[in-house]
Amino acid sequence: MTLPLIVALPFLGALLPGLMIRAGRTPCALTTAAFTALALLGLILHAPAVIAGQVITARIEWLPQLGLAASFRLDGLGLLFAGLILGIGLLIILYARFYLSSRDPMGVFYSYLMLFQGAMVGIVLSDNILLLLVFWELTSLSSFLLIGYWKHLPEGRQGARMALAITGGGGLAMIAGMLMLGQIAGSYELSVILEHRVEIQSSPLYAPALVLMLLGCFTKSAQFPFHFWLPHAMAAPTPVSAYLHSATMVKAGIFLMARLWPVLSGTAEWFWIVTSAGLITMLVGAAVALFKDDLKAILAYSTVSHLGLVTMLLGMGTNDAAVTAVFHIINHATFKAALFMAAGIVDHEVGTRDIRRLGGLARLMPVTFGLTTVAGLSMAGIPPLNGFISKEMMLEAAVHTHWLGGPWTLAALATLGALLSVAYSFRLVGRTFLGAERHDYPHHPHDPPEGMWAAPALLVGLVVAIGLAPMAMTGWIVTAAADAVTGQSLHPHLKLWHGLKPALVLSILAVAGGALLFAAHGGAARAWAALPRLEGKAIFDRTTAALAAAARRLAEGSHDGALTRYMAIATVAMVAAGVWAFATGDHAAGTRAGTPIQPVALAGWTLLMVCTAATVVAHRLRILAVLLVGVVGLMVSVAFAYLAAPDLALTQISVEVVTVVLMLLALNFLPRTTPRESSVPRRLRDGGVAVAAGLAVGALTLAMLMRDFALPSVADYYLANSKTEGGGTNVVNVILVDFRGYDTFGEITVLGIGGLLIYALTETILRGGPANDRLLSWPRDRERAGDRHPMMLVVATRLILPIALMVGVFIFLRGHNLPGGGFIAGLIVSIALVMQYAASGFGWTQARQRIDYHAMIGVGVLVAAGTGVGAWFNGLPFLTSAYGYVDPPVVEEFELATAALFDLGVFLTVTGAVMLTLSSLSRVAVRAGETVATRPYDTDPRATQTGGH
Amino acid sequence: MTLIAELLISALLVVGALFGLAGNLGLLKLPDTMTRLHAPTKATTVGVGTALIGSMVYFLVFQGTFTWHELLITLFLLLSAPLTANLIAKAYVHRSRGQETRPPSATGAPWATLETDAQAAARQDGPAAES
Repeated sequence: MTLPLIVALPFLGALLPGLMIRAGRTPCALTTAAFTALALLGLILHAPAVIAGQVITARIEWLPQLGLAASFRLDGLGLLFAGLILGIGLLIILYARFYLSSRDPMGVFYSYLMLFQGAMVGIVLSDNILLLLVFWELTSLSSFLLIGYWKHLPEGRQGARMALAITGGGGLAMIAGMLMLGQIAGSYELSVILEHRVEIQSSPLYAPALVLMLLGCFTKSAQFPFHFWLPHAMAAPTPVSAYLHSATMVKAGIFLMARLWPVLSGTAEWFWIVTSAGLITMLVGAAVALFKDDLKAILAYSTVSHLGLVTMLLGMGTNDAAVTAVFHIINHATFKAALFMAAGIVDHEVGTRDIRRLGGLARLMPVTFGLTTVAGLSMAGIPPLNGFISKEMMLEAAVHTHWLGGPWTLAALATLGALLSVAYSFRLVGRTFLGAERHDYPHHPHDPPEGMWAAPALLVGLVVAIGLAPMAMTGWIVTAAADAVTGQSLHPHLKLWHGLKPALVLSILAVAGGALLFAAHGGAARAWAALPRLEGKAIFDRTTAALAAAARRLAEGSHDGALTRYMAIATVAMVAAGVWAFATGDHAAGTRAGTPIQPVALAGWTLLMVCTAATVVAHRLRILAVLLVGVVGLMVSVAFAYLAAPDLALTQISVEVVTVVLMLLALNFLPRTTPRESSVPRRLRDGGVAVAAGLAVGALTLAMLMRDFALPSVADYYLANSKTEGGGTNVVNVILVDFRGYDTFGEITVLGIGGLLIYALTETILRGGPANDRLLSWPRDRERAGDRHPMMLVVATRLILPIALMVGVFIFLRGHNLPGGGFIAGLIVSIALVMQYAASGFGWTQARQRIDYHAMIGVGVLVAAGTGVGAWFNGLPFLTSAYGYVDPPVVEEFELATAALFDLGVFLTVTGAVMLTLSSLSRVAVRAGETVATRPYDTDPRATQTGGH
Repeated sequence: MTLIAELLISALLVVGALFGLAGNLGLLKLPDTMTRLHAPTKATTVGVGTALIGSMVYFLVFQGTFTWHELLITLFLLLSAPLTANLIAKAYVHRSRGQETRPPSATGAPWATLETDAQAAARQDGPAAES
């Protein structure tokens, strides 16, 4: 099975649970498990080769320009992590099937879980660090969904937000670090980066890159001082905690540190930052865990502590420490996942996980007791369990490391950490299961069904087996993984009995001290409560609140909802940029001579300017302003025609008509005059900005017109190739439907969405609410004119309709070679229809129109897309056009190009969007009390005559 | 022949121009909206119409082609000019509600613009509905 398929399988599996849940909970779980199992199988098939030392790779180009490729690699480290992710994932799926109650949406849970699983597998199998980043962010997002799975719990939502903010923030830092790393190594492929140790460590960018990368790793792996998000993420359902927060996600940071260990480790910076952070995390986590009362909180802080331990080992930079780190990753995953599941069982069966309310469960829940005890003792580091072996190796490594002031400092602190670990492990097991039975459990405790304890039982079996026969059980994978981490060929010897070494003494000290501390817990807890401490959550909340307030100030300062404000900001910024560029750059006067002023053109421009000025003066009288804007628009179309741009002129005229009609309809719902809302100085300021911008644009245009093109114009290409490539002589239309057809396709899609959006907005307004109330109580302050649908107008528009439609068809058909095209035709047909609506009223006309405008938009976009796709069948890129000529009888010969079909899509979308907008406005008008015409015209002259005489 | 055509075209153009001038003068000079309404209708119908006929004659005689454009333009003008005038008049009647300077309508019913929809419907359907 190829590596991309292994990564893709969980993602594919994420699609199914949502559907399979309809078949029941067990089929849903089985389907989900099948995908994970398949991926695991694919992984196992590669295992022999990987253990033999091969590196399996697969590569698919994605965005080569950015150095981003979907390249994957599988070596020992990847095999270890992918195996953990998929293997424990399988157990979690089984456990969650029994853990989730029937009220919880299980399909959603499994979908999120599979998304997360896919992202994790992606991280550990990526060879390209940019791809790795993509998966890294995906784990942050999917874990957000999983932590917040119980949406009704505020802790769940807060925990999810906090986890996302911290790990996402770290991810951002890591992006910068990764980019620097790729910059130094000259490639974003891990396989290349791993060979550039010397270059990377001697680069001036090494220190910043290291710090940024470690920020990402530390936040993800909950290292001090970012550890506080992990306990809050415990609001998630227990399967999530067991999976994300013990076995997989929090190990992603550790994975990355291990992955980049060959190139990053060994320097003083690495040693001090990583070892110190790990040590502090180990001690802080263990100390806090000892004084927590919630089972999951204890486990969360103990996870923090153990992650610190692994980080510290990676920081030491020696081969032995790296082997120990790899080995402890396996051990921690087994016993901690088992403990989480056991805690979930206790919570599930007893109804609480507060150890002050627990105790004496040993007799009531013997299976759970047995499992928890074995896993807990492993966590405490008691022989012959696997936790003991890795703890011994850790202490051994600590003894050989100099840190802060002497050879024994690190060993002493590590022993203290182990001691605390023993104490909280004892407390976890002792206070939950031992002691006298109580009578006030919320539920009647009993062991869960087999399905629920099967998964932790399997893990506990591994705990014992690895403890008894470490080399046989894990030697192969530890060797392979450690080789991959260190980049050397190591032969680690894992064994239960290490001989009488200092580590054994320290270990005995830790167990004895831990037991004593557990016995004296009451006093210690009082002392702990008296200590001052920093609450991570409070600091986080204050920081996020301050950031949000700052962002709001910035955003509301510039975007306060008033259009004038941000128009002014944008305009001033642009003018200032232009002025700055002008002032600092070179400038020479233009070389082209001006053309003489033509009297006709002068008259047109004067009219344009007068109307523009009049709009400014009269803008408070809204109807007048609309009319003046209409005149300006018409003058612009005349200018287009004058400057030999007939297509633009046609478009502009039709757009102008439609705009004026729609604006007049909308004006119905605004006051007749605009009130004076701004003071004189403010208006002067706005006027100043406007005049400055206008002068600047004018000067810029003049400067452009006085020069030749700096680069050869693309126009020549279009002119030369329009006929030969696009089959049309109307270059404008060929550009629209062929050369830049993709743009047009995007534009009509946007136009269609715009139309639908206006419809949706109207629909929302009419559904109720303040806007609807205002419409219902629309003031009838003046009498309305009668005979709104005069017979003359009605008859004339009826007469014109077929002519107008014919003009539309004509303009459409000739568009490819002469001015015209789908867009203009769409507007013309819209105008023809608008005339019908205007003459006979909306209701009467709508009742006679059988084409749904929504469908028209949809069909238009689909026809355009279908035309584009059609090119694929001929092996050509999207939207390549073909053409031919037909010579039907009666009509002149005309051309039939696929571009015309595309243009048909444009036509349909334009017509649909315009008409939908119109009908939306009409619906608002009806709600405001407009009567619906029931007859074609209000006054029937025949009726009047019979009535009058 | 050519001379006759030239004379004809010139005459048509002059007549058209005169009507255009008269229409615009009227628009300037006439006292109120209702009377002013008459002026531009003359300019658009006869004024533009004769110019169009002149254009047709020109193309027929000097270019040897018969052009349809002018006929279409004439058709649209003849359709739109009275409609525009009608709508302007209606708007004026509506806005000058209460200042009754208009003669009664010829049908005996009130001016349509001054009736509400309900009144118009009742008047038209009324006798049938009540009987």
